[in-house]
Order: sequence, then structure tokens, then C-alpha cells
Amino acid sequence: MIAAFCILAPIVVGILLFALPRTSSVPRWVGVGIALATLVALAANPNASDATLRWLQRPFTASFHVGFTGPGYAIALLLALVTVCALVALNAPRSRDFTINVLFLEGAMMGVFLAKDLLLFALFWDLMLVPVFLTLVGWGAPHGRSAWKYLIYNFSGGLLLLLATAAYGAIYGTTDVIGAATLPIPAFPGAAATATPWILAGFAIAFLVKTPVFPLHTWMPETYADAPSQLAAVISSVQSKAGIYGFLVIGLPLFAPQMHGVAVPMIVLGLIGLVYGALAALVERDVKKIVAYSSLSHLGLMLVGIFSFDELATRGVVVYMVAHGLFSAALFLVLGYIEAREETRDLARLGGIAAINPRLAGALIIAALAALGLPGLAGFAGELLILTGSYRAGLFWPAAIALVPIVIAAAYMLRAFQGTMQGPRVADLPERRDLTWLEGLALAPLVAALAYLGVNPAPIASLALGAMHTLGVAAR
Amino acid sequence: MEHVVLGIDGGYPLLVLAWLAPLAGAIALWAFGPRVRSLGGPIGAAICGVAFLALLPLWNAATAIGSHAYLFSTHSNGIGAAGASAVASYSTNASGANAAAVSTLAGIHQSLVSWAPGFTFGLLLDRLSLVWALVITGIGFLIQVYSIGYMTGDRAFARFFAYLNFFVFAMMTLVLSDNFVGLLVGWGLVGLASYFLIGFYFDRPSAVKASRKAFVINVVGDIGILFAIFLMFAAVGSAGYGDVFANVAKLSPGMLFAICGCLFIGCAAKSAQVPLHTWLPDAMEGPTPVSALIHAATMVTAGVYLIARCAPLWNASEESRMLVGTIGGITALAGALLGLAQWDIKRILAYSTMSQIGYMIMGVGVGAYDAGVLHFLTHAFFKAQLFLTAGIVIHALADQQDIRLMGGLRTRQPFAFWSMTLGVLAICGIAPLSGFWSKDAVIYGTLERGYPALYAIGVLTAGITAFYMFRLLFVTFFGTYRGAIDPSSLGIRHPELSGQAVEPAHDHHEAHPTSILMIAPVAVLMIGTIGAGLLWIAGWRDFFAPAFAGAPEGHGAVFLPELGSTILVTAVVLVGIAIAYVRYAAPAALREAIERLRVETVRMPAPLAHAFYFDVAIDALFVKPAQALGRLAGTVLDPLVLDGAVRETSIVTAWLGHLARSFQTGLVRAYALTLVVGAACFVAYYAFGAVR
Amino acid sequence: MLVGPEQYIALSAVMFSLGVAGVILRRNPLIMLMSIELMFNAANLALVTFARAWANNVGHIFAFLVITVAAAEAAIGLAIVVVVFRKTATVDVDEIALLKG
Repeated sequence: MIAAFCILAPIVVGILLFALPRTSSVPRWVGVGIALATLVALAANPNASDATLRWLQRPFTASFHVGFTGPGYAIALLLALVTVCALVALNAPRSRDFTINVLFLEGAMMGVFLAKDLLLFALFWDLMLVPVFLTLVGWGAPHGRSAWKYLIYNFSGGLLLLLATAAYGAIYGTTDVIGAATLPIPAFPGAAATATPWILAGFAIAFLVKTPVFPLHTWMPETYADAPSQLAAVISSVQSKAGIYGFLVIGLPLFAPQMHGVAVPMIVLGLIGLVYGALAALVERDVKKIVAYSSLSHLGLMLVGIFSFDELATRGVVVYMVAHGLFSAALFLVLGYIEAREETRDLARLGGIAAINPRLAGALIIAALAALGLPGLAGFAGELLILTGSYRAGLFWPAAIALVPIVIAAAYMLRAFQGTMQGPRVADLPERRDLTWLEGLALAPLVAALAYLGVNPAPIASLALGAMHTLGVAAR
Repeated sequence: MEHVVLGIDGGYPLLVLAWLAPLAGAIALWAFGPRVRSLGGPIGAAICGVAFLALLPLWNAATAIGSHAYLFSTHSNGIGAAGASAVASYSTNASGANAAAVSTLAGIHQSLVSWAPGFTFGLLLDRLSLVWALVITGIGFLIQVYSIGYMTGDRAFARFFAYLNFFVFAMMTLVLSDNFVGLLVGWGLVGLASYFLIGFYFDRPSAVKASRKAFVINVVGDIGILFAIFLMFAAVGSAGYGDVFANVAKLSPGMLFAICGCLFIGCAAKSAQVPLHTWLPDAMEGPTPVSALIHAATMVTAGVYLIARCAPLWNASEESRMLVGTIGGITALAGALLGLAQWDIKRILAYSTMSQIGYMIMGVGVGAYDAGVLHFLTHAFFKAQLFLTAGIVIHALADQQDIRLMGGLRTRQPFAFWSMTLGVLAICGIAPLSGFWSKDAVIYGTLERGYPALYAIGVLTAGITAFYMFRLLFVTFFGTYRGAIDPSSLGIRHPELSGQAVEPAHDHHEAHPTSILMIAPVAVLMIGTIGAGLLWIAGWRDFFAPAFAGAPEGHGAVFLPELGSTILVTAVVLVGIAIAYVRYAAPAALREAIERLRVETVRMPAPLAHAFYFDVAIDALFVKPAQALGRLAGTVLDPLVLDGAVRETSIVTAWLGHLARSFQTGLVRAYALTLVVGAACFVAYYAFGAVR
Repeated sequence: MLVGPEQYIALSAVMFSLGVAGVILRRNPLIMLMSIELMFNAANLALVTFARAWANNVGHIFAFLVITVAAAEAAIGLAIVVVVFRKTATVDVDEIALLKG
């Protein structure tokens, strides 16, 4: 029931908020309240039971079945936390409508991560694109180019996902399979043998677009740069995990033999993205695009972790998913503060802010350090577990190659930090006030979680464990 | 899986206090710095002092051996033991022969957290980490006291001490960790502290650049250690010191060499070994107390600690000893040669630091661990003293760092002169000062263990060291004061590039009186500079004998007995001093000092002036290609190639849409007509089609 | 002459054709709506005729449904006409192309 509450409450409250006046600031705080309620509900009930409602009988059985899988629970917690922080940090105009969009987004993404039925998963998958699209149209750059790019790429993936789900249901007779203890026996074994690789291909392409993975990533830098920072925080931290999550709870248990078959190309793609994103971030001038390209790099590492089929690496992937969610949210929120003050994101036009806004500089350096994998913060724990696991699983070269972007990450993250905050003060930048307590409050939980998980990632890492028994990843 | 922990497991609140107090101090000073302002310094220093005092009562427990040949083993039930649900049991004779190899490293151990099977964390205080921890907190305390005087009036006074405390915490994490991952955490965090402190004057572009360079090069070292962790974890299933050292016998020679090599990449980056040393001279952009604490006494010796800590690995790998000893020797020589070419007082000391760490690495590399560790200890004293004295000089001369513009300071600053003289004599290895004992031990240690080439390098470097350190002393303190003359008559073309950069916090260009807070710490350090070397004859080797059991022993008397070697080294050193005297301090040389300095400045050999082109090479080999590839990705591949295919699709779709659009006239009657015509077609099809 | 289904169907066809002609040829939306009503009623007549001819009540029921729909359609149509007139001050459908693509 908790899962159903987390999906429905934000959406219902979001609809109700339309009743309030457009300019009121009340909706934002109602939004914070309901997001906080989902966070508390999730945190207080880690073992809540599933909720199931019968839906389709023919041509295959499907249910409104929602509940917790291990990784899904971790991401749902992250989602609730990031939503709270994004709404606290909100500084976009028309705050009521923005809040409603963010709440819809939260509900839809909760659906993705808590659905235990493939058809439900696919529906929420498409649903979560809508609020992002609307926000990009309403709050992004005037021409709406990034909005359409986002929609075309991701709906194409969503369509394949839906087709693959339908095919899966038709062949196996049920779609109520996410996190299930036993896998369904195909109703048509002959068709299953030929169609299953194609079904996996459908899922995989959707996941690869959404993650995104090289070469399907070109929608991402533009979307993240164009989106209001609070939205960018939510989508980069949580929505980008949908693909990885899909591989983890759908790919691994349902398509284990086929996943092993495509491991090599997937690892290669992940590595290309890992290096490519890091290199692109090294010379990019738009600070939000630097973070976007760094995400491409980090997500490539998660892909490598999943396809190494190692227990330790799988733990690392879950830790890194949460860690990346935390630090990319923090980064985008801080960049949003900077953009709101200086009205530019161009490194060439920023500089020396730390001299007058030391607290803002402190916030940015903490987020940047987490992103570059500073030992002692959560990102490092994830990287370490993934890479150690991959290496142990026999992936010598991937583990070795994946180390290079760590050095590049240090270079580009410090370049972004020093370019905005340090050096001589740029003359034409007006003096702005320092970080307000409310802005600091939005960052505090993210930073605290990063530090805590950096010291002790075991609670999150063991969530991977709970899933792994049902996921069928052989423990070594 | 059995988990072997070095040391006796238990609860040691004092150890945790000594470890965490500096962190608490750092956070508090960072958060409330603007409130406490001038109190920040005393608070920071006091916290560091507390950490030092907290360690002292642990001395007996940490050094007791013999009766405590315990191995602490835990049985974790596979993947289910993610938390701290391990079942503990003591055993006095665990796993036979391997136990003997590690049981000698007894100390005290405090368990902390467990991430996953094989990744468990704890604190370990044994003889080795005890020495380091005492130096870190002790010298850290002295330097913070000094900084109260040195940094007075700085606008970020409290933040400076927050960073120093953070550094002490990070360094304590590094040396107290009981496993390689914890070591790596400390390794990364000291790099961060170093980054903050090098870039302390962050509105100065050169400081910003130097801090980034230091951090990135240190990350290169971090990934070396990271890869070593992969290798060890894959081989023995754990990253704990105990687990790895207990299984050394199971590792193949190739694997051992790979592990040692990867670990040494970390050492090379952190301890400024060739070719990863280029960040250290640039790091002198930081305030002088930082240079003394981090870039001379403690952080840069982390590589020495790591190798000494991993003695069981190096003991088992002859190739690794050869590699590390060679790199250490090359670094010692290269640092000394580059020290010849510098005019900035801090850069001279930086290159001498690099050279001295080369000695330490050479020592621990060839297996003379006790000698290398002693050289770390004595170097910590005399180099910190040299830097702090240089700070007094710089402070008194309104931030002048170029020794060509100094001269004749002997009478103006007698304390600085005598302190500098003492430090220079110690670093040159003049008996019976501390440097004599440790350097002699290191140099002879290489010969004893069969590395005559390294021995030759060590002797040669000792001579060069004597020359350039006395050059520093003579040019700075002898002759007449040159601060008032035109820099161009000394051949200085760009004063701002030759070390005359002004620390912007002191924006008043006048001499500062030297505060007692700056003199007292230097006086305390002098005690160590004079006496620390005597530990060598006061049982130092016996103290460390259990920690370095199994180290390759010397072959006894080779062709040169130890006394002969000592006499040889001393002779070479005296020759170096004599040459320096003739060139810079003899009455004839002093008369034409300005002309001589001008000629030397203008005719500096190009390889020395460009520091052997390491920066240029690294830039051309790594930085430039990475940037070019990045530009290719961001400006060509992404928008043109990858997006191009997608854009073609969308253009075709848009064209189809335009086609369909022309049917939508918006006129109701046109739609109605279309409807009727369509209906008529249907009717016609069935009416006439049925006939056919 | 006996009036049989053929005659009713013929009448229905004539009515429907008149309605079609009205929609296509006239430019006044009110007349067009009336013409559409005419077509509805032609269809109703056909439905009732066939229902009687085949002694099946479904046709009657459907006729009632069509009447209901026609009423709703007239109401909405007239409302649209009024709104459009307010906006454009004309009722000539050839001058109104708000939905042009």
C-alpha cells in the first residue's frame, strides 16, 4: 500500500493544486509536504507489502501490481528526497505550475520504480516523459527545440518498450513478472525461443536511450542545459536511472542468457560513453553541459558494472546509482543558484565568485568533489565496488580503461569549479548575495547522504542483495 | 572467509579521538570561521595538540610485541554479512607459516565499518603508524602555532586553520587505516587538503593553476593504488593489510610486481617522484607554513609510509625493489640538479624536498626500511625548520622570495641566519646533526644490499645538495643587501615570474616584526634537527626490527666498510660546501656578487631552466590530446555525426507533415465535399464492382 | 397505390440528397445545420422503414438514438456558430478557416 500511496499521492495532490491561484507560493510548500510524506512513508516501511489489482485477463494477464524491489526501493527513496530538495530550492517563475509538473513527475517515476508488472512499467515509463516535456516547453528556451528532441528520442524508446512488453505478454502469458520469485513458463515455447532476443532488444534500446548511452545520448546535454535547474536535478538524478534500473530488474532476471550474449557490445558502449563523456566535459564551456557530459561518463560506468555479472559490481551499481543521483542533483541545484544570480552559464564569463559568495563556493566544491569520486564520499564507494567487482569478474581491460576517466573527471570538475568560483573576479559580473539559508537547506540532506554513504554504503549496497536472490545473479 | 587483522582488536576511544578531533575542528572552523575570526588559530592549534597528547598514552599498547602474536579472525557468512554481523574469534596460531610473517606487526586495532565482504574498515596503530601519527600531530601543532603569527591579518584566517586541521585528519586517516581502501581514502583527502591550501589565495591565477595541477597529478596516483586494490582483491578477496600480507606467499612474482608497481604509481604522485614530480615546485604557491607541513614534512612522505607499510610485499619482490630504488635514486639526483637552477627560496627548498624524498624512497625501496623511515623523521624536523625560517625571512622582507634580491641578512636577522645555518648543515649531513645519521644510513643501506649504482648516485647527490644548500645560505645571508637595487641589473627580466609574486593578503609592503609565536616553534624544531638522528644509535633498528621482519639483509662488509663510506660521503659534502664558498661567500666572490648573479641568471643551461622539460612533455603527451579529443567529441561528433542521422529522420517526417497539411484548408464545405466524393466512390465501387 | 417500403426509401434518398446539396452549396452555417438535420431524418426514415419491413425493433431503437444525437449536435453546432460569429462578425463559412493547417 505504501508503494501505491507514493505513486498516487503526488499525482492527486498535483491535480488538486490547480485549484489554487497561479501566483500563490502555497502550492510549492504543499508540494514539499507531500514529497516529504512520500519520503517518510518509504523510509518508515522498508518491508511494506505489495498492492495488487487485477487488470487485464486477455490476451495476457496483467495487474496493477506495485511494491518494492531492492534497487527500486533505493531509487524511490532517492526520488522522494530529490523531489523535496528540488521543490525547496525552486526559484522558477509560475511556481504553482512548476510544482504540479514536478509532482506529476514524481508520481510517474515512482510508478516506474515501484511497478512490478511490465505493462504498468511501460505505461509509467511513457507517462514520466510528459511532465518533463511540458516543463521544457514552458520553462526552457523559447524555441522548444530541446523539448522536442527529448520527446522524440524518449518516446521512440518508449514505443519499443511497449511493443516488447506486448510481445512478452503474448508469448509468456503474463506481464506480472518484475521482482517475481519464479519466472513464467512461456505459453508458446517455440515462439519464445525466436522472439526473446528481439524482446530484449526492444527493452534494451529503450533503456539505452533513456540512460543515455553513447551514441544515443545527444538529446541529453541540450535537455539538461535547457531545463530549469530544479527539473534538471530531478531528471539527471532519478530519470537517468530508469534505464540502468530496467537492466537490473528486467534484463538480468528475465533475459539472463540473452544478457550474457550481448555483454561484450554493451560493455564496449559503456566504456565509449565513459571516455567520450569525460573528454567532452573537459572542453565544454557551458557548466550545465559539463555536468551533463559527466553524467554520460558515470552512467557508462554503471552499464559496465551491470554487464560484468558480478555480485560486488551489482552492489556497486546500486550504490553508484544513488550516489550519482545525490551529487548530480546537488550539482544542478547549485548551478541553478549560480545561473539565477549571474544569468550566464558560460565559463568564460564567470569567475571569482568565491571572493564574495564563499558559501556558494563551498556548496559547489562539495558537489563537485562528490562527482569526481573523492574518496570518502558516496561516489567513490560506488566506483570502487563496481570496478573491483568487474575486475574480479575477469574484465581486466574495462577496469583499467575505466580508471582513466577518473583522472579526467578531476580535471573537468575542478575546471568547472575554478572557472566559476576562483581566479580574478570578472569585472562585468554584478555582486550578488550569498547562499540563502533556504538554498542551503535544499542542499544539506543531499550532502549529508553523500557523506554518510561515503563512509558506510552497506545499507544501500545490501538492497542490491535483497534483489539479487530473485534476480538470479549468481553470488560468487 | 577468514579475515586477518593486524593488531589486537578492541575499543580505543583515545585513538578515535586523535583521529576525529581534527575533523571536528576542521568542520567547526569552516562553518563558524567568520564568527571566531582571530580565535581560529589558537583553536586549530589546540585541537592538533589534543590529538598529539591523545596518542601518547597509547604508546605502550601500540609498541608491545612478543606476547601478542594474535591474529584476529572473523568468520563472515558469505554475502549475508553486509553489516557488522561478523562473528569474532581469537586464535594464537592461525594458519601456520603465514601467521608468523604477519604476527610480528602487533599493534592495536579498532574496528569501524564493513561495506561488503572483503571491504572492512578499522584503525591500526602499530610502531610504523605511531611514528607517523606523532610527527603529523606534533609538527602539525608546531606549524599551526607558527601560522598564528604568520597568517595574522589574513582575511581568511580561520579558514586557513580549518584546512590545516582537515589535512591533519586526512593524513591520520591515511596512516591509521588498517586496509588499502582506507589508505586510499586518506590518500585522496590529503590531496584535497593540499589542493585547498595550494590554492589558498584563489584569486591569483597561478595559485589556481598550481592547485589544480597538484590535484590532478595526485589523482593519477590514486588510480594507481585503486588498480592495486583490484589486483589484491581479485587475488586474495580482501583489501585489508592483514589479509593481503598473510597471503603474500600465494601471489605469483608477476602479480607481486604488478601490485607493487601500481602502488608505487601512487607513491610517485604523492611523494613527487620522477616523472610525476612537477606539481611540487608549483605547490609553493601556498602559504609558507603549508609548504612546511604538507609539502615537506608529512604529506609528501606518504609514499615512504606506503612502501614501509607494504614491506612484506616488497620483501618478496626483488624486481619491485630494483624499480623503486632506481626511481628514488633518479629523483634524488634530478631534484638536486634542479635545485641548482632556482632563485626562489621556496622553490629551492621544494626541489631539495623532492631530492630528499628520493633518498627516502631509495632507502625503503631497496629494503633499508628503518633507514628510510629515520630519514623521514629527521627530514621532517630539519625541512620544516628550513621552511619556517624561510617564512620568517619572507615575512620580514615583505613577501620577497627571490634570493638574488636578498643578501646580507646575517646581521639583520640573526635568528633566521643561525636557524637556517643549522638546517642547512643538517640537510647536508654534517655530523652529529640528525641528517648525518639518517642520510648515511640510507646511502650505505643501498651498498649493503648490493646496489652500487644507487650508492654512487646517493654520494654524488649528497655533494650537489651541499653545494646548492650552501649557495642558498651564502646568497641570502652573506654579502650586502640587494633588495634596493634594480632587478634588471641582476638579469631578472620579469620580476613577477621569478618568484616576486606577492601574497595578496599582505597588501602592505613593509617588513613585519617577527613574532615570538613564529620563533618558538622553530626553536622546538631545532631540538629535533640536532638530536633526532641519535635515535639511530639509540635502538632505532631494534624498535623497528619486528615491523620489518624478513627485509633483505645486507651482505655484511662489501668492498667498503661503513666507516669508510661515512668518510667518503663527508668528504664529498665538504667539497660541495667548499665550491659554494668559493663561488658565493669568499671575499673575492662577494665583491662581484651582483655581476656573478647576473651572469648565472642569463646563462642558466636551458634544460635546467625548463626543469628538464617534464611539464612540456606531459602537456604535449596527455593534456593537449585529451583536449583535442574532447573538442572533437563536443563540436564535431555530437552535433554533426550522431545528431545528423536523427535530424535527417526528423526532416523527412516534417516534409510529410507539410504534404498532409495542404489538405487541411480549414473550409467546412471543402471537407464536406471531400466526404461526399469519398462516399460516392464507395457507392460506385459496390454498385459497379458488384456488376463486374 | 399501395405505399410500400420502396416509396419510403425513395423519399429517404431524396431527403438525404437535398441535405447533402444543402451542406455543400449553402454558405450559411445555420442552413448547413438544418441540412444536416435533414440527412439525419432521412436516415431515421430509412431505419424505421427497414425495421417495419423486417419486423425487427432494433431499427426503431436506433432511430431514437439518432434523434438524441441530432439534438445534441444541433445544440453544440449552434453554440459554435454563435461563438464564431462573436469572434469574426461573419457567418459565411468560406471566410472562416480557423482550423487551417
